[in-house]
Amino acid sequence: MSKLKTEQCEMDMTPMIDVVFQLIIFFVVTLKMTSDINQDIVLEDGKHGVTMTQENTPTSTIEIEVDRRGRISIHNATLSEGMLRDILRNRVNRLGNQFPCLIRADRRTKHDQVKRVMDICTAVGLWKLSFVAIQEHKSKGKTLMEGN
Amino acid sequence: MAYQRRQNKGESPKLDMTPMIDVVFQLLIFFVVTLKQEDIMAKLSAARPQADPTATKENQVEPMTIIVAADGLFFNGQPMRPAELDRKLERMSGFSKTATVLIKCTMNSPHGLLVTALDLCNKHQLTNLSILSM
Repeated sequence: MSKLKTEQCEMDMTPMIDVVFQLIIFFVVTLKMTSDINQDIVLEDGKHGVTMTQENTPTSTIEIEVDRRGRISIHNATLSEGMLRDILRNRVNRLGNQFPCLIRADRRTKHDQVKRVMDICTAVGLWKLSFVAIQEHKSKGKTLMEGN
Repeated sequence: MAYQRRQNKGESPKLDMTPMIDVVFQLLIFFVVTLKQEDIMAKLSAARPQADPTATKENQVEPMTIIVAADGLFFNGQPMRPAELDRKLERMSGFSKTATVLIKCTMNSPHGLLVTALDLCNKHQLTNLSILSM
C-alpha cells in the first residue's frame, strides 16, 4: 500500500520539474538586455512609417542616438563628433554607403543637434538616413507621461 | 525494521522537492515580472540633398516645401496644423507621388515636428523626401 504511494509521488514530480526547467531556460535565453540603448530618449509617434523588423534591420544597421541635450551615442556609449565620423568612415570603407543608417533622436531635441549628426553622415557619403519613431506603444506610457 | 525503511523512502523525496520547486517558481515569477513588452518601432527614411546643386533642378515638377519651425509646420509658406497638412498632402499626392518634397528645418525646431512631417509624407506615399536645414 505504502509502496504504491511513494511510486506515484515520484512519477508526478519528474516531468513537471523538466517542464519548469525548460521554461526557465527559455526565459533566460529570450531575455533581452535592453540596457544597450539610451532609455532616456523619448521618441515621437510615427504610425505610418515602415515597421522595423528583424528582416529590414540587418546586422549592418547602425543606430545613432541623440538625446534631448544633443549627446551623441551608439548603444548608449557617448561619442564625440570626431569619433562618430571615424566610425562611420570605417563602416563606409568596409560596407559601402548602402547600409541602413538610423537616427534615434529625442522628440524634444533641437534640429541643430540632429543636424550635426546628419552632416557627419553626409560628409562620409551616407545620403539616405532614417529616423526612428514609435509605431505602436506596448510598454506603458512613458512617452505620454513625459510629453513636452 | 522493514516498515521503517519503507516509510523513510517515501518521505525523503518529498522533503527534497519542496524547496527546489519554491525556488524554481520564484525564478519563474521573477522572469515573468521583469519581462518587458517593447514598443513597435517604425523608420522614416529621407535623403539629404546631394551637394551637386544641379541634381535637384532636374526634377521639373514643382517641389512642395514644408517648413518645420519652432512653433509649427508651414506648407508652401502657410502655417498649418498637422491635420491640415495631412489633407493638403493627400491632395498633392494625388497629382504625383514622385514629386520632391523639400522639408526645411529651422535650427531651433524640435525633432518631433520633423518626424511628424515625415510621417505624414510617408502616409501619402510621398517617397522623394529631402531634408534641408536653414
